[in-house]
Amino acid sequence: MFGEEDVVKSHLKRSFELSYFLIFAFVVLLSRVCYLQILNGEKLEKYSIENSLREQIVWAPRGKILSRNGTILVDNKASFNVTLTRQDLKNKDETIKELSKIINFTEKEISEKIKKHIFEARYKPIVIKRNVTQKEIALIETQLEKLPGVNVEISITREYLNEEVGAHFLGYISEIRSDQLKKLKKRDGLNYNLGDFIGQRGVEQTFDLVLRGVNGREYLEVDAFGRKRRSSGNGVYAGIKNLPPEVGGKLILTIDQEIQNVAYDMLKDKAGALVAIDVETGALIAMVSTPSFQPSQFAQGLDPDYWKSLLTNKRKPLRDKAIQEHYAPGSTFKVVTAVAGLMEGIINPKTVHFCDGSITLGRRTYHCWNKHGHGAVNLRSALRGSCNVYFQQIAKKLDIDVLAKYAKEFGLGQKTGIRVKRETSGLVPTKKWKLKNRGQKWTKGETLSCAIGQSYMLTNLLQLSVLYSALANGGKVYRPKIVQKAYNLRGELVEELKPELIKEVGLNSEWLKAINEGLHDVVNHERGTAFYGFDVEQIKLAGKTGTSQVVGFIKGEDRVKCDDAPYKYRHHALFAGFAPYDNPKVAIAAIVEHGCSGRRVVPIVKEVAKRYLEKYHPNVVKR
Amino acid sequence: MLKKWKEFFKNYDFSFFLVFVAIFVVASLNLYSITFNQSNAYLVKQQWIWFALASGVGFAISFVQPSAFRRFSYWIYGINVALLLGVLVLGAVGMGAKRWIALGGLRIQPSEFMKLSIVFALARWFTINSPVERLDLKGLFFPFLLSVIPAILIIKQPDLGTGGVILLIFTMIIYYRKLRWSTILKLSVMGVISGFLMYSYVLKDYQKKRIHSFIDPYQDAKNSGYNAIQSNIAIGSGKIWGKGYMKSSQASLNFLPEKHTDFVFSIFAEEHGFVGVVLLLILYFLFIFRLLWLSQMVTTIFDSIFCIGLLSVLFLHVLINIAMVSGLLPIVGLPLPLMTYGGSSMLVFGILTGLATSISNARLLF
Repeated sequence: MFGEEDVVKSHLKRSFELSYFLIFAFVVLLSRVCYLQILNGEKLEKYSIENSLREQIVWAPRGKILSRNGTILVDNKASFNVTLTRQDLKNKDETIKELSKIINFTEKEISEKIKKHIFEARYKPIVIKRNVTQKEIALIETQLEKLPGVNVEISITREYLNEEVGAHFLGYISEIRSDQLKKLKKRDGLNYNLGDFIGQRGVEQTFDLVLRGVNGREYLEVDAFGRKRRSSGNGVYAGIKNLPPEVGGKLILTIDQEIQNVAYDMLKDKAGALVAIDVETGALIAMVSTPSFQPSQFAQGLDPDYWKSLLTNKRKPLRDKAIQEHYAPGSTFKVVTAVAGLMEGIINPKTVHFCDGSITLGRRTYHCWNKHGHGAVNLRSALRGSCNVYFQQIAKKLDIDVLAKYAKEFGLGQKTGIRVKRETSGLVPTKKWKLKNRGQKWTKGETLSCAIGQSYMLTNLLQLSVLYSALANGGKVYRPKIVQKAYNLRGELVEELKPELIKEVGLNSEWLKAINEGLHDVVNHERGTAFYGFDVEQIKLAGKTGTSQVVGFIKGEDRVKCDDAPYKYRHHALFAGFAPYDNPKVAIAAIVEHGCSGRRVVPIVKEVAKRYLEKYHPNVVKR
Repeated sequence: MLKKWKEFFKNYDFSFFLVFVAIFVVASLNLYSITFNQSNAYLVKQQWIWFALASGVGFAISFVQPSAFRRFSYWIYGINVALLLGVLVLGAVGMGAKRWIALGGLRIQPSEFMKLSIVFALARWFTINSPVERLDLKGLFFPFLLSVIPAILIIKQPDLGTGGVILLIFTMIIYYRKLRWSTILKLSVMGVISGFLMYSYVLKDYQKKRIHSFIDPYQDAKNSGYNAIQSNIAIGSGKIWGKGYMKSSQASLNFLPEKHTDFVFSIFAEEHGFVGVVLLLILYFLFIFRLLWLSQMVTTIFDSIFCIGLLSVLFLHVLINIAMVSGLLPIVGLPLPLMTYGGSSMLVFGILTGLATSISNARLLF
């Protein structure tokens, strides 16, 4: 037999064959490089110097956003940009000077725009000004000879057909910020570049990946002046095909623009917000916040004066008062206290408390809003008259943590999870929370304040609408939804409205009836806090008014009437409810900042409810 | 003690590490030239860290006796296959493909290490099985299985290039293991058929597109054809002497995407011309032929096959990468050893150098 060394030696022949193969492979590589560098070097060097093949991005249109009825909310329109290509500049300063005269920019502004793109390829056009006017285009086109490197390019910009109405949740697109580049690249695995537009707010932001298209590419042969030249057919590039852009996906929202407009019109000259949701699905029907802003301004490049006016406006047009701002829910919270009282066995619908205008706890006296007292009240009439004392009697026997438990079951104190960023979670205080954040122990008096929606208790408007929707539908807490259908760019359905039950609060139907009868009386009983006359239109609105104190009653000054106080000290006015009372379809919450009395919000809510019911449930509204 | 060390280092074969360092120096200068005016200039620093790690690990491995390699061959292979499975199941998604697995902060690509593990496994198999006779189809079954399992796992990631390399390493080793010519004929027929089936059923669209764009780059609308042309222009415009260091216009103009990974060679060729290319190829050539020479100098069949395996790994990368960027093969995304930026790849070639050195040292010890 062989020894192991002999076995190795027996492979000598193969190792020689292998070495021939290796040498052959190296020779092949070298001859290929030789073919490129020595035989074709001159030609390829020319191509390299001329860089005559240009790859140009053809911007893809974003997908449209439609309302539930198919009306277009957000669309695209053509616009024109002035660009400058560094490579083609002959006399940089001269060109910048000439250009600055035409487009009304200072020379410094133009230089700074160029500087931002200094690390990019010199052949890439830099956008100097977006949305130039026809007059500017004409001026540039006639002076192109004098402006080497300057060009007018067709671009697409976003058109927000309803501008201010719903601007907060529709959002806007704007140029990607350099600090977003890296983060978003990592998040989406997409190759974002400076100059790309992305959704920066609202559904434009959350559904950016659905809406954005795929940019196309155009290959151009250009001459030394950057002017397009038809492919001659004899270069290496002959036959390279362009790649057309793909339009982004389509988004159909649950919003009804008609209702949206009604709500906006009624709130337009106030600072406030309104949210209307479908009680059976959680679908948003309307969501407006006023004053608002023009999203198209953001998409087209912000005018500094406009931006400044938004920032300095004391009514904060940029804040979305429906979800971004939170308020003390005031008396609208009393329904939660009622539920807690019933569930914990502290009261039953027939329990009667006597309200003489105040309630004492230890040495402190808490006044009812009605100094003369409501007299003997049960749950129904306590809600009707919004009697503080009745609910504070419950609170006396209630631990704050227990109250918090019920508030949280209705979705308060946590984000509703609507797919619009910047939502606040509100606040449902507990003993632990206070100890941790205030370093103090909870006092019983604070429970009494919380029970009527004051003190630390904070909710956003959307949460309130979810709470009242749950009261209307028998205790089902749905996640608010904004998208009815979403299609990707291939037209495939990627998302569809499906009711998402977060929690079902187990409510005894008898108790629920008592609460809802109280809410009914608020609007439809002569002694209700929101009574404006009998319900001739049969909308059967039920709900609760609320007053959100901006500042605590200033001592000694609580005699000052709210309307006489300076604007910023006036209370916020709230109303939350649903309609129709006996067959609920829609839950609505609305706020007018510094509106003093919740009663004043009712006509707004009534109008929105009426228009919605007439349109979608005409059979439940008697004509 | 000191004397013993001196004695040892007298017998230490520094040749592999010498070439390793030489290529790295070229690579580092090249990477600097590519990235110095770009947003990814930090890559050079990272590459140095990886180099320190790779040469440290390689150097440590060079002190391990080859008999240990043989003993743990299947373990190494088994663990690596398990890691590949892990990648498929829970690997992080990067560039649209699942390739990485996180091991305590480090992101590694098990597919890179598989190139070495397969060498371990095959060398071990052929040591024990039929060392004298020429190989026939029957004797190929098990080693083929050993190779095709990881290859499929890698192709599924999807990484066609690396998966293909595993199979090519297998091919080179069985050729060396005296595969019968008649069997080679049978295999080529099978290869053609299975290649056809692969194309029809396994390849993803983008992989097919790359093959199309290779066959006719000028007819391709997508980027891949554009890359191939720009790469050719970069190489060709270097001519004999090159444009000079840090003077690549193709790179600074961003004409070539992924220029720090797949297309490093193009930029090198553009800046240093044909002369530079010849010098770089000589470095690779030296390493490869030193391994071939070593395979005939060793005393055990394991060491000999192992050397041929290492040789295949290095050679196939050099061949395929340069062939693809110069337009001889489709762009499959395979690194050029040491030149391409990439931690796992650098580590693999550091280890490879250590393994080669260890075998060479063992030869001198006895």
